[in-house]
Amino acid sequence: MTPVRRTGGPRPATRPPGLSRRHFALALPSALLASGCAAPHQGTGRPGDPIVLTLLSHYASGELKAALQGPVDEWNATHDRVKVRTTAVEFTDLLTTFMVRQAAGQGADILHPYCLWNGQLVRAGVLRPAPAEHAEEIRRGYREAAVGAASVGGRVYGYPTEVQTYALYYNKRLLREAGADGPPGTWRELEETAHRTARRDRYGNTLVQGLGLSTYDDSTTVGQTLALLNAAGGRFVSADGRTTAVDSAAGRAVFDLEHRLVTEGASTPGVNVYQAFPSGQVAMVVSAGWWTGSLKSLMGAGYRDVGVAPVPVRKAGDRHATLCTGFMLGVNTASRFPREAWEFLRWLNTGKAGVKGAARGATATRMSALQVSVGSLTGRADDMRALLGTGGDPNQRPFLDALAYAVPEPNVPGAQQAKSLLRKNIEALWTGQQSVDETLRTTRRQVDQEMARSW
Amino acid sequence: MNRRRFPWLSYLLVVTGAVVTVVPFLDMVMTSFKGPGEAGTLPYRFLPRALDLSNYRAAVDQLDLPLLFRNSVVATALITGSVLLTSSLAGYALAKLRFPGRDFVFRLVLSTMMFPPFLFFVPHFLILVHWPLAGGNDLLGRGGAGLTVSIVALAMPFLVNGFGIFLTRQFMIAIPDEVLEAARIDGAGEFAVWWRIVVPQTKPVVVTLALLTFVDAWNEYIWALLVSTADPDVMTLPVGIQLLQDHVDPARTMPVVMAGLVLSVLPVLTLFLLLQKHYIRGVMLSGLK
Amino acid sequence: MVNTLAPETTRRAPHSRRAAVGAVDGRGRARRRQTVVAYLFLAPALLFFAVFLILPLGFALLLSLSRWTGFDLGDIDPVGLDNFTGLLADGSTFLTPVLTNTLLFALGTVALALAGSVLVATCIDKLRFQGLWRTLYFLPIVTTVVAVGNVWKYMYEPGGLVNGVLNALGLGSVAFLQDPDTALPAVVVVQAWASVGSAILVLTAGLKSIPGSYYEAAALDGAGPGTVFRRITLPLLRPSLLFVCVTQFLTGLQSFALIIVMTKGGPGDATNVAALEMYRQAFSHGDWGTASAAAFVLFAVVLAVTLAQLWFFRRTGEDA
Repeated sequence: MTPVRRTGGPRPATRPPGLSRRHFALALPSALLASGCAAPHQGTGRPGDPIVLTLLSHYASGELKAALQGPVDEWNATHDRVKVRTTAVEFTDLLTTFMVRQAAGQGADILHPYCLWNGQLVRAGVLRPAPAEHAEEIRRGYREAAVGAASVGGRVYGYPTEVQTYALYYNKRLLREAGADGPPGTWRELEETAHRTARRDRYGNTLVQGLGLSTYDDSTTVGQTLALLNAAGGRFVSADGRTTAVDSAAGRAVFDLEHRLVTEGASTPGVNVYQAFPSGQVAMVVSAGWWTGSLKSLMGAGYRDVGVAPVPVRKAGDRHATLCTGFMLGVNTASRFPREAWEFLRWLNTGKAGVKGAARGATATRMSALQVSVGSLTGRADDMRALLGTGGDPNQRPFLDALAYAVPEPNVPGAQQAKSLLRKNIEALWTGQQSVDETLRTTRRQVDQEMARSW
Repeated sequence: MNRRRFPWLSYLLVVTGAVVTVVPFLDMVMTSFKGPGEAGTLPYRFLPRALDLSNYRAAVDQLDLPLLFRNSVVATALITGSVLLTSSLAGYALAKLRFPGRDFVFRLVLSTMMFPPFLFFVPHFLILVHWPLAGGNDLLGRGGAGLTVSIVALAMPFLVNGFGIFLTRQFMIAIPDEVLEAARIDGAGEFAVWWRIVVPQTKPVVVTLALLTFVDAWNEYIWALLVSTADPDVMTLPVGIQLLQDHVDPARTMPVVMAGLVLSVLPVLTLFLLLQKHYIRGVMLSGLK
Repeated sequence: MVNTLAPETTRRAPHSRRAAVGAVDGRGRARRRQTVVAYLFLAPALLFFAVFLILPLGFALLLSLSRWTGFDLGDIDPVGLDNFTGLLADGSTFLTPVLTNTLLFALGTVALALAGSVLVATCIDKLRFQGLWRTLYFLPIVTTVVAVGNVWKYMYEPGGLVNGVLNALGLGSVAFLQDPDTALPAVVVVQAWASVGSAILVLTAGLKSIPGSYYEAAALDGAGPGTVFRRITLPLLRPSLLFVCVTQFLTGLQSFALIIVMTKGGPGDATNVAALEMYRQAFSHGDWGTASAAAFVLFAVVLAVTLAQLWFFRRTGEDA
């Protein structure tokens, strides 16, 4: 009931509370709006100020960060008009960061994507095709696998940088103690050595895994399996990129092998191999070339126990094959300075500089020098010969050799989802949730459904 | 109830449960003092060999603690302040003013509690990105980063809380109308009535609501993770510590993460232990809705 | 909406002192004024709900019926129900295991938290230092999910506390979070552990509201503690139980922060839940349409489960 009393009766004409009340109600939203407007917006180059290009990569910490910063500092010291600023996140967050920042209008000028994502990034309009002269230079300077990984639908989208091939790391001491003379060359030897080296304590805690299978992340789980699949002559995705090819004799052989290793106790997939191998809890593990660098710094003197051999083949005399993955440097469609960005990329990826400690007159690109300094490779064969020519870490040799026969990872749109689906199925196999048959069937069904989606 | 015998069984149960509740916290503290090669090795040991403070030093080195603390504090303060203010204003209108559409508005407020937050994740982010005239955007919300690059982005989706309005309203209904009438006759406007009479009388519910909101805001993770991905400068403590895992030497990760967690959990736990009566009343009240 | 009413505040009646006529007239004016004032008080909240509730709901609905890469509002491409059919198609992982995981996660959490909290709350009621016990049980609630998740993740590891206890008891180690058979239950335990405190509080409040005379009457009739619990405590606790059930279920169906911290949905899809899948589709794969569709499917599940619980409690209430 409304009170009969004159509620607002004799009010003075103007009352401060009345005024401030209305202001008050409006104060909050407008204050927020104002503070929003005041948000810093970077990169508005006034005339005369240098252009600042941002570069987003996963070279976030340690020697990788330092290795990239070297040439960038060199560029910044020698170029007045265009400066480059690096930003980085960890690899596991890289794709999400690309997508979220792009959605927020914050995409960096220069991106360093994993080539697997190129299909998705091109489809989403994130990557800008390389201008003709750059595309020409890229096609000329790099191995075919590297160019293919940096291309989508026949168009080149960036300068290939880091190239990773997969090979078998092994702990010489553990193999020697188990009575194995050298690294396995065939799958039968691989399985034997794995069984001989595996050890557990009485509670069932794994002390040493024979062959390290790891569910650490997509790239680890799938990389190990695909390297073996390629070595057996199989492929993950058909040549046209529309269907999966994993449900084949080679696919069955790989899943059978992994399934046996796990059920018979020679592999313990739950263990993080990146921690377990350096501390001597894994005898053998299939992994990529970049790892030599971090193992060296992590293990110190213990690194002399580490050996690397090509991924074993099914039968003695089979042709070698393995998986090859990579990164590239491309330019954002949203960048306001694409020409400058491509110029910087050309300088970084094709401009040659002298190689310290190599034969006199030997030169290599800054990117090749950078990659080799952290134990990785690029797709420039001439550079690799110059940089690894004499001395250096013999463990890198098998990765370099593999460049000649490695199979590049597919980069069709939806490749990342396909890889995640494959990973989930592999994990279900390793953990005994699925039989080999089910794994082959479900993988094919799920991946085909993903690839067939209309875009 | 009359206690005939000493309730042994009850004590046993409650104490066991309490131990299970508290031990993880103790394990966190213990692990934060474990030296290199001590954590995660077999066999498990609860106590650290020595009070090794190096993990705290590492956490402080690896984390930009001033930035993380600043962001967490600003976001929490914005959210808490705004929730208190808007809840009190709206709660007063719904409890003590008569106007057409009141039932509708009240039902609207109640219904907001029904929608789960995940439904709004994607659109909230996009709305902030396309916020007009902010972060380089034009009037139609195009061209820039919108509010996502500003610290208010952390707070925006939480500034008003349907439950807060409901709670305050329920509390304000109990204030006798005569008191408000008397003030109005004395010439006080509704704003003055609200500010001078209603707000002081609702102190208990304000404290309760403030605590509930503070704890939620301080601990918020998912939204902060998303906003920090767009702009690392607005990263909050929980997000920063979760990221710490990737940065540190693997053999020492866990102790350092635990040290960071101890640092970030301390302010809230202290506040909770000091003001737990108010907080617990809030949770009880929420059970009565 | 609010602003159109604003000019009325400035209109003031010159003859408001005229009692006989003014009673009706003045009441109308006062009411109008109060309306304006009320909407001014409500303005911040209503504005917020318009921008952060109604607008997003519409936007999400639009996106769920479109294909969009997420960067240019002009590129939103309507595709009808494609996103929904894609989610429910053969070979899609959304129904199984993602949605089943979501339900199992919620169900497991509710069951554990409810059982634990009923047990502890009724026991606490008989003890001294009730405040102290409740405070202890409440600690996990005020702790950030990042802390809870990491502490438990570490405790579940081979060299962690849980396996340490198992080994000390002579049992073998369990790779809780790495084995898909144990990963989901392991996460459920943590979620229940973290939410049992507030359930205890609500139930305690419910217990305190049961009149002591009921228990005295039961004691006179010679009823044992089991009978008292079944015949008096449980039925009278029903409102509190319903509340705990509904809210815990809601939380269980939609929370994924703990899962992000502890397992990121793995191994495989063993702990992947609908809200996490939605987050990934949008922010990693840039598939905003599928993400929005997934959100609505989950919303439908949440609504259905909540209504089912209300119906169930009402029905059993009538039976009793």
